[in-house]
Amino acid sequence: MNSIMILAEEVANEATVVNEFEQTLLRIFILIIMFGLGAGLTPKDFGLALKRPWGLIIGWLTQFGVMPLTAFILVTFVLFQFDPPPGVAFIALGALIMGAVPAGTTSNLFTYFSKGNLALSVTMTVNSTLWAFVMTPLMLVIYSRLVGLDESLDIPVSELVTVIFGLIVPVALGMLVRRLSANAGSVLELIGGVFGILFIPFLIAVWVPRNWELLLTTQWPTYVVAIGLGAMGMTVAYYIAKAIKLHPMNARTISLETGIQNGPLAIAVIVSVYADSPGLDQILLIPALYSLFIVILSTLVTFWFRRANVAAEQKIPNLL
Amino acid sequence: MTTYPWTKHYPSEVSPELEKVPYANLPELIKAAVGTYSKTKAFTQVMPNGMNGSLTYAQIDTLSDNFAAYLREVVKLKQGDRVAVQMPNCLAYPIVAFGVFKAGLVLVNTNPLYTAPEMIHQFSDSGAVTLVVSDMFADRLKAVLPKTKIKTVVTVKISEFFPPIIAGVIRIVQRYWSRTLPKIEVDHTWFQDALKAGKNAKNDSAAASYLKGITSESVAALQYTGGTTGVSKGAMLSHGNLVTNTLQMISHCGTGMRKGMETVLTALPMYHIFAFTINLIAFFHIGARNIIVPSPRPPSNLQRAFDNYKITWLTGVNTLFNALLNERWFQDAPPKHLRASAAGGMALQASVSERWRELTGTPLVEGYGLTETSPVLTFNPLTGLSKDGSIGIPVPSTEVKCVNEKGKEVAVGEPGEIIARGPQIMLGYWQRPDETASSIKDGWFYTGDIAQMDADGYFKIVDRKKDMILVSGFNVFPNEVEEQIAAVSGVLEVGVIGVPDEKSGEKVQAYVVASAPAPTQEQIIAHCRENLAAYKIPQGVTFVDELPKSPIGKILRRVLRDQVVTGSTKKGA
Repeated sequence: MNSIMILAEEVANEATVVNEFEQTLLRIFILIIMFGLGAGLTPKDFGLALKRPWGLIIGWLTQFGVMPLTAFILVTFVLFQFDPPPGVAFIALGALIMGAVPAGTTSNLFTYFSKGNLALSVTMTVNSTLWAFVMTPLMLVIYSRLVGLDESLDIPVSELVTVIFGLIVPVALGMLVRRLSANAGSVLELIGGVFGILFIPFLIAVWVPRNWELLLTTQWPTYVVAIGLGAMGMTVAYYIAKAIKLHPMNARTISLETGIQNGPLAIAVIVSVYADSPGLDQILLIPALYSLFIVILSTLVTFWFRRANVAAEQKIPNLL
Repeated sequence: MTTYPWTKHYPSEVSPELEKVPYANLPELIKAAVGTYSKTKAFTQVMPNGMNGSLTYAQIDTLSDNFAAYLREVVKLKQGDRVAVQMPNCLAYPIVAFGVFKAGLVLVNTNPLYTAPEMIHQFSDSGAVTLVVSDMFADRLKAVLPKTKIKTVVTVKISEFFPPIIAGVIRIVQRYWSRTLPKIEVDHTWFQDALKAGKNAKNDSAAASYLKGITSESVAALQYTGGTTGVSKGAMLSHGNLVTNTLQMISHCGTGMRKGMETVLTALPMYHIFAFTINLIAFFHIGARNIIVPSPRPPSNLQRAFDNYKITWLTGVNTLFNALLNERWFQDAPPKHLRASAAGGMALQASVSERWRELTGTPLVEGYGLTETSPVLTFNPLTGLSKDGSIGIPVPSTEVKCVNEKGKEVAVGEPGEIIARGPQIMLGYWQRPDETASSIKDGWFYTGDIAQMDADGYFKIVDRKKDMILVSGFNVFPNEVEEQIAAVSGVLEVGVIGVPDEKSGEKVQAYVVASAPAPTQEQIIAHCRENLAAYKIPQGVTFVDELPKSPIGKILRRVLRDQVVTGSTKKGA
């Protein structure tokens, strides 16, 4: 349990599994990326996402339907079944919170690289974050009762507002720049893309060495939950979107948007709500592991989507 | 003045006969536009990610003067020397083309996708002594140049005339990301250096002499054609051919082409005669802003151009319009400022033109012409009666008729070979008097296309003479069958050819590119059964990933047939 202690100490000190400096760096990364993504968008793109709200509706359903349910299923049928580790209730609580939080900003990045519908992705992130005021506590109450934890929590409004502003402001600025100069806009977009590519190895590089012990001592059911949440969420959402015949571009978007939860938000919420809980370190375990593995998972899925994309949609007549 | 069945269908503002042409050669036509629109943006090049660069009419004029001076004073070319140009659409292209004309030289447009043997053929056949080439394609030169008379090579970057930072970013992306900059292993001069040298060597009295003796009869361009029918040959297009065809097209479009107010999207390559005459020269002449795109493949490359500019005009081929109609971003937000589109190069399918009109709410009119005719012969009037499935009526000062094997005009409604006479008919094929004699008789150019004229004087292409399929003695025209198959839902593209058959001589075979959910062979044949006579129904439908196409996207049936009959997988030019 040594590693958990380290994690808990760090959490206590730094409020996260990465240190302050790295956290700031990551925020700047995300800002630059979102700025660049915004530079690739026009108001028209958002108009379309709203004009045909099917993607948005399905995304909402998978976000707050599939994800909390998946967390519940994994907790019930994996975590509680196989040789439950000490403090399993706390770990389960972390999993349920992870399932109930809204979509993360990185989903936009992966949607961009997957040739998905970026405007839909951004709209969905904003939408699910707004709904999180109501839905995240509601889902947590329902599923924690079902697993016998009887927890409730209030999401600090300031956290959600920060998320939304951190998303909307750079995107809007990027769009503005692009409108003023298509040249400046496309350079920004390129820079955003480069940072997006660097983002993943950077994240892994700061996360893995620091939490090496944690990775070694964590038991496999916990891994199954941490990795399975994103994997199952993406898979189920993808096939639901496919089944109702959404455009492949939107199906990819919804899949990533659903599977990628806002890990940093979950961590921040837990730290502020459960600061005094004796099980803080265990509650943080799944969100921390999830945050690492979702990046790896999304990268793999993105490669797969890009291949599928070429195979399925580039048959549009070749010109020249 | 003779009256033709079509005369009454010219819109009121269109005169059936062109007035006296006020320009002796292309440079005069160019100067006229520069004088009127000097400060206006003439060309804007748009990359797929929206990066762009622009040049004004005045800049194009000055820079092409510099390039003309470079060719004559620095390279020391003599009047009438051939200059081959091989590049995709970019800002350098109009400067080079206009510079060549201003220098009194002959332009040889060359497809950048040509292989080394094709380049050798075209360069040596034309006798080109100078080559202006995109640096992306310069790796083939080491093998090509020794077999040609080319002494001077000028290399052009795709990012030429972009803002410096943007040009730098494009270079970095080209070099390290897309790796499209091969090592150039031959002596060459960079375009910007050539322009500088030309600027220093320029003097007005010499410039005036470049065009001495250049009349409407002088050759302006050798435009190679016949790649689809065998050996490629150069159509000699004179200054007069190109000037009059430009004015014919402008006149024919009447109020559809508004002076100084149009923004035209040039997605087709300008080295091809269609975009060359209409987009490069005609739209320049009326003071339009030309939005040029280096490659429309994939069609999403055009999205930023449509997003960022108020496109009022679009020229294209069936393949392009069809591709755009199948693009989601295009369906979701059809261009708001579009006023008219013109299709040529290949048959425009009724299903495509109907969907286009429905989606964009603007007319898409079909015209017809060949490289040998500069190219425009006929077009549907933009502001008058436009008939679907028809190539329209002859442009002003042009006679067109359908004749039988003996050269006699056939009755209205009867199919016959379409022949044409007018100021846009080429001088002949370069150094091929026999081929010239067999295609131009008594001033009439024999197109090799079968058409019929209706009572209104509107022409309808039945098919290419050589593509006709002979099934048990019945003529089947692939166009007709393709038209039906294209209307089946899920069919993106179709090519119909005749393949040898023991029983019927030839049988009809269809090759289809389908989108998901793909139709079945049975559905396609059932649709044909409802709409076509029994002998026209394809014996088989093969689903393929891709059909062979020409540079402008015309489906090459001959290449398809070669692939099928010989089992070879050779790609089309």
